[in-house]
Amino acid sequence: MISKTLTLLRKELIDASRDKRSVLAGLYYAIGTPLIMCGLFMVLINQLSSPDDLPIKITNADTAPDLVRYLGQKGINNDTGEQAEKIQLIISDDYAKQMAQGKSAEVIIVADNSEEQLQKSIRRLQLALQNYSMEMGSLRLLARGIDPRVLRPLQVELHDQATQDSKGGMIMGIAIFTMLYSVFISGMNLAIDTSAGERERNSLGLLLSHPVTTGQLVLSKLLAVTAFAMLGLVLILAISHFAYPMVPWPELGFSITITPSFMATVLVIGLPVAMLAASLQLFVSFMAKTFKEAQSYLTMVMFIPLALAMSASYNIAPDVLKWLPVSGQQGALMEVIKGKALPLQELLISSGATLAITLLLALALTRMLRSEKVVFGL
Amino acid sequence: MTQRYSRWIGLLFGLGLCHALPLPAHAAEQSSKSSSCYAEGLSDQLKCGSVEVAENPKKPNGRKIHIHYVVIPAIKNLAPEEAILGIAGGPGQSAIESAASFERMLSKARQHRDILLIDQRGTGQSNKLACAGEDLTDIIKLNDDAYDSAKETRECKAKLDADVTQYGSEQALGDFEVVRKHLGYQKLHLYGVSYGTRMAQLYMRDYPQVLKTVTLDGVVPMSQSVLAIGGAIARAQELVLEDCEKDPSCQQTYPKLRTEFENVQQSLSEYPVMEKVHHPVSGKTALLTLTRNKFLGSLRLALYSPAVRSLLPFAIHQAYRKNYQPILGLLAMQDGSMDLAMGMHAAVVCGEDWPRLTPALREEAAQSVMGQMMLKAMDESCPIWGIPAVSKAFGAPISSDIPTLLLSGEKDPATPPKWAEMAMQKMTNARHLVSPYATHNVVAQSCGGDLIAKLVETDDVKAIDGECLKKDVRRSFYLNASTVEPLPEEK
Amino acid sequence: MINVSNISKKIGKVQALDDLSFSAEDGMITGLLGPNGAGKTTCLRTIFGLLKPDSGNAEIDGIDVAKHPVAAKAKLGLFPDPFGLYERLTPREYIQYFAKLSGMNSSDAKQATAAVLSKLRMDDIADRRCKGFSQGQRMKTALAQAIVHQPTNIILDEPTRGLDVMSTRVLRDLLLDLKHQGHCVLFSSHVMQEVAALCDRVIVMANGKVAAIGSPQELCQRTGQDSLEEAFIQLIGTDEGIAA
Repeated sequence: MISKTLTLLRKELIDASRDKRSVLAGLYYAIGTPLIMCGLFMVLINQLSSPDDLPIKITNADTAPDLVRYLGQKGINNDTGEQAEKIQLIISDDYAKQMAQGKSAEVIIVADNSEEQLQKSIRRLQLALQNYSMEMGSLRLLARGIDPRVLRPLQVELHDQATQDSKGGMIMGIAIFTMLYSVFISGMNLAIDTSAGERERNSLGLLLSHPVTTGQLVLSKLLAVTAFAMLGLVLILAISHFAYPMVPWPELGFSITITPSFMATVLVIGLPVAMLAASLQLFVSFMAKTFKEAQSYLTMVMFIPLALAMSASYNIAPDVLKWLPVSGQQGALMEVIKGKALPLQELLISSGATLAITLLLALALTRMLRSEKVVFGL
Repeated sequence: MTQRYSRWIGLLFGLGLCHALPLPAHAAEQSSKSSSCYAEGLSDQLKCGSVEVAENPKKPNGRKIHIHYVVIPAIKNLAPEEAILGIAGGPGQSAIESAASFERMLSKARQHRDILLIDQRGTGQSNKLACAGEDLTDIIKLNDDAYDSAKETRECKAKLDADVTQYGSEQALGDFEVVRKHLGYQKLHLYGVSYGTRMAQLYMRDYPQVLKTVTLDGVVPMSQSVLAIGGAIARAQELVLEDCEKDPSCQQTYPKLRTEFENVQQSLSEYPVMEKVHHPVSGKTALLTLTRNKFLGSLRLALYSPAVRSLLPFAIHQAYRKNYQPILGLLAMQDGSMDLAMGMHAAVVCGEDWPRLTPALREEAAQSVMGQMMLKAMDESCPIWGIPAVSKAFGAPISSDIPTLLLSGEKDPATPPKWAEMAMQKMTNARHLVSPYATHNVVAQSCGGDLIAKLVETDDVKAIDGECLKKDVRRSFYLNASTVEPLPEEK
Repeated sequence: MINVSNISKKIGKVQALDDLSFSAEDGMITGLLGPNGAGKTTCLRTIFGLLKPDSGNAEIDGIDVAKHPVAAKAKLGLFPDPFGLYERLTPREYIQYFAKLSGMNSSDAKQATAAVLSKLRMDDIADRRCKGFSQGQRMKTALAQAIVHQPTNIILDEPTRGLDVMSTRVLRDLLLDLKHQGHCVLFSSHVMQEVAALCDRVIVMANGKVAAIGSPQELCQRTGQDSLEEAFIQLIGTDEGIAA
């Protein structure tokens, strides 16, 4: 019995590995996705970060030399040129007069706040000006014999629960999502080819005419697709391992590293998902008559895991998602990469549900292959 | 006099107040055994913990104390075997309570390495040897000239549950090593500020093999007694007067500042001021007693921060005109701004500095008012504390080839640039950079953090370009209670 | 030996098989002759257990297909129409694969594959992938697959369709060869000539029923016609769907 399953499996794998379409579909996704993501983030981070030395154009600089020097100490320098023109600071003509009278002196920042490249620099300038204002305010009070602490009725402290790892939470969520989703992408073509394709080529009838049980047939196809799905996962992990560290994450205040132990965790946790993906895809494809039809069905069906994983990664989802297949694993992996403990209970239940659905689908498939309608498309 | 000492004189070697208006952070919050915690002013989750050590290293089975530490995790840890150890000043400041300041100063270097902060024994959470403090009302009211410092010292000593003789620098150094090993760091980069530079130099002397680089900010050479800073204070005061004279606006506004300063001192030493004021915090009516010592003490504190320093000509001028509000404001800054552990402070200063005062040093110290105050205070309190003196070898300059960066601020009222030169006599791989505008604690007031990051990355002091220290970041003097900018000439 | 007894099968609304009974003996070539739509393929699929009869049963060497499908199928070889090749496999892999599925162990399957490849003179194409094969090469591959495990019973569904003369000859020789070895050969066809030339017995089917059974000669005699073709038309009552 087992030897026949192995024979079937071996053939499926040989056949699939020679199928450029199946292999490339997995490869493109596994190689391409991390690279594209990293590329995008590199560009984005460059856009978002403010240069160490920020040139701005200050009008009326000679009215407020102390302020200009203060900004200079913060790396914000009065300069000319195209780059400096983008952020202008206009010091009002009556700056010194207002200051001398203990009033507020007006300074105006002129910049396009919708330009993402500038946003961080604008905020930096605003913050520097606020600090200067606060410092002068404190000293004005001091000069009048008042403790500046009276200006701070509230001492607001933020205790950020984020760890170094969890700060990249959303990005990590997307990264994990791409990894987990690779099991759905990588095996998809093979699943279609080995089911709808098999029938389209008329080999299904021949196969069933041989002394093999439908159980063996389903099992071998399931394993073959799972193997491909896992291969895609291994690949995307390997590529991610090398690609993610190349992005200058620290600019955003966190780091992302795909450690070997995390990779191993993903593989273990991803296995049931891969099996679910395989059974779901085989199930749907066997219902379609042709390769094309299967493709269009699957594209629709794949929205379900997509939605589950996505919503889990964005943290917008209700708690129930923790216990569901795909989203449960996604959630668990996000906890792990945030350096928190693996939520064992949730993971066990969602993995159990995943395996249960897989089993149900496999049984349904076995039944389906006994049906004349399905085999001959009658 | 202990309290007084802590307010005006003991505040010798702090992380400056500098950038920290409103006032600097204190009192870190920490749950002692848990592995994550927060520090005031810092939203990041920190790793914290403690190690148990013998209070007296020679009696390993004796009384135990806990040395607490926090690790500010690297943004992206490229060197998990290394950490940057930040050592606070005082002596008596808590490094953990200053976590936010250390993080700001070392944020560039933190990109790739953890920052390790240890509450030195006797400070912060590591069995703090604190004396009861006074509230601001008392600080304003009391006349220090009529103060029994011996009694205060005795009272404080009686309350402390510790063998105070065990809280010197060398005992504390052993704790640092225990923590380092406990956390598994193979190598350290040191950043010591003020008194912390003494700890760093002892580290270089005793455990050079675990150090990759050292940065000394506001250097106290081993050969120098911290009590010898009367001259440094006088020098910094003089620089304020000089800077004002060189500055056209200041000169024009306060043309007779030097004379006025002399006059105020003269008058206060003869007739201390006593008047009703509004309490700087509560606004209630309070009594202000202003002696010369209190006056000079409040000015001295202001010298630590470039921003507050810029208020001094105005404050002196107003005092001359009998308006003591600005001085009242400066006095208020002493409340809670520096929570020194006075028992630990005494353990260090009375063991390591007071006994090393030679007659020559005493004579030199006596030349400045602040020096005299300090001598008097120590002479009264140190015999009561009874800390054994360190050996003579303690004062030997450090011989080392560890890449060492020494930073000094030209306007420093505590550790003048020439002290750094003394410290580096026998350092073969050291560089001394002076910021022309900084006061005490250069890194907080300049691009020093960038230089440390560079040193930590390259292990090479020669690779450091100190040009950025020369950038003009001077602060203008206040011309009245509201402005630093002169009015444009009327046409 | 294949025995079909009283099989009826409805597909949709069509009565595809209607109380069909016949048998195919060992050492004989039995032809299943009938016009398109007569139910030949349905009949063969039922023998393979791919379709379940509404009533009646099929036995292979005495084993009921419906009750013991795996054991029964092990005694069958199928030459399907269409062939159902895996284009990314070579004939050797393809044949060996099905040999193993039919129950041979690895080394036996390997030997048997080599033997059948040389028997069908396929050594030159044995290790090329099937993609791009000519119809003749495809036919040989499918045929080799059907006989590699030496089944007692070999069923061929429209084997000569689309074959050129040379291929048809190869097929014919092989079938005769199998017959001499004592195998039971059953094939369906709507081509008169090959049935006449090859078959020992002919089962004429129309509308899911057996119209007549007998050797070609017997059929001719029974209808009083000279050629099988004429006899066939008379037997099924129409010439629709018959190729000469």
